[in-house]
Amino acid sequence: MVLLTNLVEDSLDEGYARAAARRAEGEPPSRHGRLLLTVGLVAVGLLLATAAAQTRDRASVTAEARSALAAEIEDRSAANDRLERSLDRARSAVARDRRAALRITSEGARLERELTALEAATGAGAVTGPGMVIRLEDASGDGSGADVDPRTEGDTEGRVSDRDLQTVVNEVWAAGAEAVAVNGQRLTAMSAIRAAGEAILVDFRPVNPPYVVRAVGPESMRTRFVQGFGGSYLQVLRDYGIDYAVEDDENLRLPASGGLAVRHATAPTAVPSGAATGETTAPDDRTTTR
Amino acid sequence: MIAAIGLVLGIVAGLFLEPTVPTWLQPYLPIAVVAALDAVFGGLRALLDGIFDDRVFVVSFVANVLVAALIVYLGDQLGVGSQLSTGVVVVLGIRIFSNAAAIRRHLFSA
Repeated sequence: MVLLTNLVEDSLDEGYARAAARRAEGEPPSRHGRLLLTVGLVAVGLLLATAAAQTRDRASVTAEARSALAAEIEDRSAANDRLERSLDRARSAVARDRRAALRITSEGARLERELTALEAATGAGAVTGPGMVIRLEDASGDGSGADVDPRTEGDTEGRVSDRDLQTVVNEVWAAGAEAVAVNGQRLTAMSAIRAAGEAILVDFRPVNPPYVVRAVGPESMRTRFVQGFGGSYLQVLRDYGIDYAVEDDENLRLPASGGLAVRHATAPTAVPSGAATGETTAPDDRTTTR
Repeated sequence: MIAAIGLVLGIVAGLFLEPTVPTWLQPYLPIAVVAALDAVFGGLRALLDGIFDDRVFVVSFVANVLVAALIVYLGDQLGVGSQLSTGVVVVLGIRIFSNAAAIRRHLFSA
C-alpha cells in the first residue's frame, strides 16, 4: 500500500521541485535550456509519430497476411471440390463399365443387383426415392446466420448444435430411413456429426444453417419420426426458438458419399463362391465397399 | 511556444519521414511511448505548478524511456518480459493519471 500511496502522491518528478529550489537560491537557469527543450520535444514528437506509424503498418501487414491465408483456403477448397467432382465422374464411369461387364452373364446380373442394393445401403452409390425433408433453422435474432462467422462465440441458446443434429439424424434412422443426407452430405455407417468451435461438421466438412436432413425411406417413416422421440425433440427445440419443418418429398435424390474408403480390409485373392456371398452381405461397409 | 512548435515538428517529421524501426527495437517502442507520455504529462503539470525546468524535463524524458526499455529488455532476457511490461505500464499509467488529474485541477479548478 505504501508503494501505491507513494506512486499517487509523488507522481511529479522530484527533479522539478529541486530545480525550483535551486533557482530560488539564485542559481542561474541553464543557458541552453530552450534549445534542449526543443530538441527533447522534437524527440517526443518523433517517438509518438513513429510508434503510430509502426502500429498502422503492423495492422496492415496482419490484414494482408490474413487475407492471403483466406484466399489460399478458398483456392484449396475450390481445388478440393474440383477433385471431388472428377472423382465422382470417374466413379460413375467405373460403375457404368462394371455394370456393362456384369450384365454379360446371368450370374453377373445377379451380382449387379446385389451390388446396387449394397451401394444404396452403405452410401457408396447415389439413391433416389420417396422420403421426407427436415429443415432446421437457427433462432433468428441471436447473432447467427449466414453472414455471421459461425466460429465466434456468442449466444448459443437458439442455435442448432451438433447434438441436436445427431439426435435428429439418429431418430430418422430409427424411423426406418434407408439413406440420409445432411445438407447434401450423404451419411454412411462411418459418418460423424461433430462440432468444431461453433461450426457443425458432417464428415469433417463444415455445414451452414439452414440444416436440411433428407431421408429416403418407407411411407411410414414420417409418421414414425414425428410421433416418436424425434418429433418431441423438435418440439423442445422450438421452445428455444429453433424453427423446423418436416415435409414429404416424392422424388428425393441423395448423392453418393465421397468419404468411403477401405482402411483395414483387403479382398482375398481367390474367392470361393460360397464365401463370397456371405462376405458381401456383411453389414459392415468397410468390408463391402470397393 | 518554441516548445509546442518543436513537438509539432517532431510529430510531422515522424509521420512524413516514417523512420524504419529496427526489428530488435520494435518490442520496446510501445513501452517507450508510455514512458514519454509520463514525462510529457509530468512536464505539463510542472509548467502549471510554475516549477518547470527544461533540463529536468529532457533528462526525465530520456531517462524514463531508457529505463522503461531496459526493464523490459531485462524481463525479456529473464523470461518475464510480458509481466514486467505490465508492471511498467501500471506504474507509469498511475503516474500519468495522477498528473493528468493535477493538470485538470489547474485548468478547470475542479
